[in-house]
Amino acid sequence: MLAEPKLSHTAAMILEAIHAGYIYGFSVMEVTGLPSGTVYPALRRLERDGLIRSEWERQSVADRALRPARKYYKLTRSGKAALEAAHKRYPLLAGLIPVLEVEKA
Amino acid sequence: MQLAILHAASWLVPRHERPEWFAEWSSELWYVEEAASCQATAFCLGAFRDALWLRRNALPNPAQTRDLGSPYHSIVLLALVAAAAVFCALRWPPPPLPPGVSPGDILGLHLMLAMMAFVVLCGVNSVGLGEYPANPYAPGGLARLGRWAFFAVKSALLVLIVIVGSVHLGALGSGTVFTYFVAFRWAISDQRKRCPVCLHRLVRPIRIGEASHTFLSWYGTEFICAKGHGLLHVPEIPTSCYSTQEWLYLPSWSGLFSNG
Repeated sequence: MLAEPKLSHTAAMILEAIHAGYIYGFSVMEVTGLPSGTVYPALRRLERDGLIRSEWERQSVADRALRPARKYYKLTRSGKAALEAAHKRYPLLAGLIPVLEVEKA
Repeated sequence: MQLAILHAASWLVPRHERPEWFAEWSSELWYVEEAASCQATAFCLGAFRDALWLRRNALPNPAQTRDLGSPYHSIVLLALVAAAAVFCALRWPPPPLPPGVSPGDILGLHLMLAMMAFVVLCGVNSVGLGEYPANPYAPGGLARLGRWAFFAVKSALLVLIVIVGSVHLGALGSGTVFTYFVAFRWAISDQRKRCPVCLHRLVRPIRIGEASHTFLSWYGTEFICAKGHGLLHVPEIPTSCYSTQEWLYLPSWSGLFSNG
């Protein structure tokens, strides 16, 4: 296993989006402009590789807001390290995704 | 309409991951419909790609693989299926043979079809069982004989099931060749994923390496024998260094797996 996994541009963009606060699949799609058939398999691959982890929103919170519960993604420590390495590899990456002010909007 | 697409795609997802997969996609669909309902169908079509990815990459469900894990269970299960096929053939007799055709002719025809299927299999797939290096830790002649005997019994039971099934259904031809093809392919694939010492199914597949790092490195899946007899390296892409799957005997590990 490599110490610093080399991410594809798509995977790096998705990691950057999650880091910027776009923490569920559809918001990642919207901010990156990638189709659902790319984003969701990439999320699974990143989770399998231990770069992100997922967590379901509490049902009570979703019920209060009258909407279905959604699955949130968060960077792990390895994910943050991989993103830092990706910033060196893709210097323009950080400017691609605007930082979201309020999470779980 | 969109939910129907998600339901259709969910059939591609391994069963044990299906409920969570469907929950996530249907939840996301709700938000897509809120934000841009015209994009909902395009969004749902992406579910097929996600489902296919899961189907290809999901680890096998231990509850499903346990049944065929032991060589005895495999043989007993195949024997039960063969017995059921024979029972059905005796209970509901097959259509009479055409005039001038004897049961011996049918068996000869099946032999020819089975050979044809095997030739096709050799053409489109590798039929090697992998590399089992000869070293002091390799099992003796009796264990090797047992491995081949298991393969022979398994194949014979499969052939019996195909013969009885096709004679009973009165179907001889390309369908039978295809059935033999599938049966032989399964028999070889099952044999490759078994420990050469205890013949149990190998467990805990782990992916090693990266597709972009195959030069002087290794990229593939590693399986382990639950009883600690060794490791199986299966290359994802055959290279000059790792052209086929290779078994690594680990006799010193057996003590660690004494309860396995």
